[in-house]
Amino acid sequence: MQDFPPRVRTFVSGDGSPAEADPDTRSPGAFLRWMLARQWKVIACSTLSSLLWFLPMTLGPWIFGKAVDQGILGGSEPALWAWAGLMMAVVAVGGVFGVVFHTFVVRTWLIALYGTTEMVTRKIAQMGHVLPRRSPTGEVLSVASSDADEFGAMTEIVARCLAQLVSYLTVAAIVLSISPLLGVVVLVAAPVLVGAALPLLRPLHRRQQVERSRNSDLTSMAADIVAGLRILRGIGGERTFGRNYARQSQLAREAGTSSGIWQAAVEAVGVLFSGVFLVSLLWLGSQQVTAGELTVGQLVSFLGYGLFMVGPIRSFFELAQKTTRALVSARRAISIFEQQPPWRERAAALSLDGTSELVDDVSGFVARPGLLTVVVSAVPEQSAALADRLGRYLATDTDPVAADDEEHAKGRAARRARAERARRRALIAAQDEELAGRDWGVRLGGVDLADARLDDVRRTILVSDTGSQLFAGTLQQAIDPHGRLTREQAERALRVANAEDVYDALPEGWQGELEERGRGLSGGQRQRVVLARALAAEAPVLVLVEPTSAVDAHTEARIAERVSELRHGRTTVVTTVSPLWLHHADHVVLLHDGTVVAEGAHADLLHDNPDYRHLVARGLDEVTVEEAGR
Amino acid sequence: MTTDLLATSADTWRDHGDEPPAIPPALEPPVDATWRERWHALWQRHDLRRVRAEENYTASRSAARGWPVAGNRAVLAFFRELLLTRRGRFAALVVLNALAAGAALVVPRLLGDLVNRTVDAKGGVPDGVGTVALLVVGVVCAHSLLTFLAQRTSTLFGQDLLASAREHIVRTILALPLGRVESASTGDLVTRVTRDVGTMSRSVQYGLPMAIISLLTVVLSILAMLLNSVVLALPALATFATALWAVRGYLRRAPKGYINEGATYSRINTTLTETVEGARTSESLRLSDRRVAAGSDDIAVSAQAERYGMTLRNLLFVVLNFAFQSPRVITLLVGAYAYTQGWVNLGQITTAVLYVEALGDPLDRLIGEVDRLQVGAASTARLLGIAEVPPDREPGDTRPDGVELVGRDLRFAYRADHDVLHGVDLHLEVGERLAIVGPSGSGKSTLGRLLSGINRPRTGSASVGGVELVDLPLEVLRTEVALVTQEHHLFIGTIRDNIVLAREDSDDAAVRAALRAVGSLGWVERLPDGLDTMIGSGQQSLTPAQAQQIALARLIVADPHTLVLDEATSLIDPRTARTLEGSMNALLDGRTVVAIAHRLHTAHDADRIAVVIDGRIVELGSHHELVERDGEYAALWRAWTS
Repeated sequence: MQDFPPRVRTFVSGDGSPAEADPDTRSPGAFLRWMLARQWKVIACSTLSSLLWFLPMTLGPWIFGKAVDQGILGGSEPALWAWAGLMMAVVAVGGVFGVVFHTFVVRTWLIALYGTTEMVTRKIAQMGHVLPRRSPTGEVLSVASSDADEFGAMTEIVARCLAQLVSYLTVAAIVLSISPLLGVVVLVAAPVLVGAALPLLRPLHRRQQVERSRNSDLTSMAADIVAGLRILRGIGGERTFGRNYARQSQLAREAGTSSGIWQAAVEAVGVLFSGVFLVSLLWLGSQQVTAGELTVGQLVSFLGYGLFMVGPIRSFFELAQKTTRALVSARRAISIFEQQPPWRERAAALSLDGTSELVDDVSGFVARPGLLTVVVSAVPEQSAALADRLGRYLATDTDPVAADDEEHAKGRAARRARAERARRRALIAAQDEELAGRDWGVRLGGVDLADARLDDVRRTILVSDTGSQLFAGTLQQAIDPHGRLTREQAERALRVANAEDVYDALPEGWQGELEERGRGLSGGQRQRVVLARALAAEAPVLVLVEPTSAVDAHTEARIAERVSELRHGRTTVVTTVSPLWLHHADHVVLLHDGTVVAEGAHADLLHDNPDYRHLVARGLDEVTVEEAGR
Repeated sequence: MTTDLLATSADTWRDHGDEPPAIPPALEPPVDATWRERWHALWQRHDLRRVRAEENYTASRSAARGWPVAGNRAVLAFFRELLLTRRGRFAALVVLNALAAGAALVVPRLLGDLVNRTVDAKGGVPDGVGTVALLVVGVVCAHSLLTFLAQRTSTLFGQDLLASAREHIVRTILALPLGRVESASTGDLVTRVTRDVGTMSRSVQYGLPMAIISLLTVVLSILAMLLNSVVLALPALATFATALWAVRGYLRRAPKGYINEGATYSRINTTLTETVEGARTSESLRLSDRRVAAGSDDIAVSAQAERYGMTLRNLLFVVLNFAFQSPRVITLLVGAYAYTQGWVNLGQITTAVLYVEALGDPLDRLIGEVDRLQVGAASTARLLGIAEVPPDREPGDTRPDGVELVGRDLRFAYRADHDVLHGVDLHLEVGERLAIVGPSGSGKSTLGRLLSGINRPRTGSASVGGVELVDLPLEVLRTEVALVTQEHHLFIGTIRDNIVLAREDSDDAAVRAALRAVGSLGWVERLPDGLDTMIGSGQQSLTPAQAQQIALARLIVADPHTLVLDEATSLIDPRTARTLEGSMNALLDGRTVVAIAHRLHTAHDADRIAVVIDGRIVELGSHHELVERDGEYAALWRAWTS
């Protein structure tokens, strides 16, 4: 039987073996069913133990009634002890299975919660850079945290309600056998009461949604204030943003109050309904005692059942509420899980040779094998776009679409908006498929990148873009994430990137922990560690996009020299306009409007090409005092 | 390089395969073991999990990492203060909830009464059954109404308390000392304003009112039991009391367990955020499988924390089940005996059993809420800790006479005995452009921070117009000298809010003038809401150049006579820099500028250049003077221009 943490192998297995079947994403309902079916055995155990916890309790009032009739009113001492002993046994059984049930609830809940989080991580691993083109980061994260929790809650309430249903029917059977009339009342009243309260839940749900969204805005504002705290304390603005926060805090308070009052109304109605139910039982019961159809002990049992039935009624209530929430969460989850990578492997994949010429048809760019080629462009986005093409990356030119925008979603308008968003997302996906399906237009040694396996492309050509990110972990893991380097290799990478100061700043050296995204390092330090990691990967073809933009001139000069030495004999492409790099270039390419307009040696271009000179040596021949500010 | 910074590399490098697993093997259940061994191992794991939870809890409370944590007394004082200012509402909350709980307790009493009447009737028509039924209906209606009113009051109270508490925290954050803000990592602060505020919210919003309600219900139920029959109540209550020691033990351990659980979830979230945002990086370095493994490791750690909490609860449940359920049987037996002795009637027994059954629920809830309150209190302690950062300056009354900025014998250390500046003297000419160049770690950024009044020098002085920069109130300091870093954070707010920072009373004319000066008025006015357009994360998005212009406009409004620019444009692409040239000129015009330069053409264009190496100014002069001197700068310049 499954236990937590669950072993998930959906989307990617993580160890090279084939992945599990994809989840059912045809509809939110289907997804929830898939989710529950996946751990049906655990849920069944949970239901069973819940039943063994509840059922003894359903016997309680009955035993008590018998004890009253035979033991107290009947005055039989042995009967009293027998019934009391039975009751104690029932309490013990209930107690044991209460603990067992709790254990299973935690298990089902966490299997759903952790399982969903695992699936999200694996979806990201499967989609790579394509996922952020389609879905906003916030939505991906919310599926893994709050939506995953809703699924956990769903497993619990389903198990509990199944067991409650059985106890409900058991009680009905007991009551029917004692008195058919009262039995029917118990059987019918509960569902009617649940149904009658449903209309109240919808407005409550709407208010809770507004409350959630305002609270999340409030949290963003607080995080925003902290993120910009240096500016707020350095330049000013504490009053303005303190006031803005206070205003949003009051809006959140109003929303919270409004949903809280509805919640109060729902609770009050619950109290009223269960009370009315109890009174009807009581009234009918006493009529029957009067008519001699019911003993006093049986009436006492009935009153106990009246109180007992409140439990199942409340649970069914909760089931309705949680199902609605889980369906909303399932919709969001589907919008992430249903996405498929656009890459289609071609029938006969060709292998790539990293020691051959890299050619881009669109720009006319050629990286000669074994040389350091520097790409110079007045518009850095154009060199970055070239780097993306060289590495077979889809451009980040889309506006990701969320599945849901929480606020004010109701009725037909919401459905229309949802359909529209689904359409827009499908459009991006279709565009991805189209781009990924046709010939890529970049050839390495004559092989179009689309003809090679994507994994082979990634292995052969490493593009380190400006968005490259550090991950939390030790410095050693940052430089050597695959755990393949010798210490000497890692040291060399660190030295070449001139990032020894990062090592020095960590008292634990290689085992010093870097915070997430390299937070805590300066921009320049981060950039140098990223560079060291890229160098340590020893890719046959290395493309570095603006590798030293946040580094001072002293250091940049050192890095350029050492990188050109280290990469000697292997194809390297660097995009920059810094003369400190160009000085070491074997070959320089000038891009204009995305196409190659001039190429040659740095000195020759400097001499012959006024555009190039202007771009590279800017500030040298047009001295403007104002530039001192840079 | 004089010393090898990697000297200790061999000692700290870890050979592959030596990485400790995410979960120590002792936490894995044994395989092929006898039941006895399994049972024993289970408790060993539980103990180990407790040690882990307590370690993590202690770490979260230690001030060594990041920001301080307040003591329990501060938390109590904080909530006492909040409660005292809401005395009326608090009283209403208590009274209404007491009435609602009371109404709930009347029903079993009436049912017992009904049983008595039926018994008394001895098979005949009992008296006043209709009256009792009507009475129950009345009580049920009253209970329902009171429930509504009580819950409504609780909501109003909880929400109001929460709003005050979180606004207080944000006010505190906005008053943090400048020097501390500039040096400390904001990561811990972000966690506090998001996760800890969330935890505090839950306990203030629901925990506090619910604890009060449950406590009232428990107290009133016990009272009602005693009123119903002392004989029947005492044995039951004594059995309830046996659970006390287990509850105490649980309440002592559980909060640490839950705080640890919470920490593991935020760890899962952090890793996942990294994985989403670094999707491309992972793909390009083929790290996807590593990210999956990192996520699984976090989950494995979290599962251990959950298991600890689960076992703690199970242990509690075993005791509670006995203590809360067996009183039914005890009441029955005692009741039967007392009935034969004529001490109680059947109605009292019925009522007592109903009460005993009804008491378990609020007791359970009370324990749960006290638990939640303790977790909330731990978060509140972390939030209130922010207020315990000592102020870094005591503003004096003297105001600068003139605008001359002078640094004398400046020394500064981040760590004791590790000066990064060794006696720097620098006299800024009014209106000059001074570029500071030097390798990373040379102390040039620190010099910039001292010259902009962010930190107090260890020795020496940094003064403007004869007054120490750090003795000026922040509002005055900001209009004298400003440090401009590479951050151009846009706040969630209107464009106006984003610009008036330094002078918050500025009118629209001043904002427009600033926007015009940096060349942004055109595009701002073309926006649908003009100055009222909401910008910042999740709002109208701006191009990097526009964001930079907004950041420059802030400084125009601040209007300091001296600017310290640190890597100001280094992270901006050259094209943006070019379109910003005009905006920049407008800002720099007529001001003294200290530029901490990365790019050599910046230095070339400056009036004077200071070359900082190892915490000292080794060269100072104009570009031509330094080139002629043929020192550090000249060598660098040759590399740049060759």
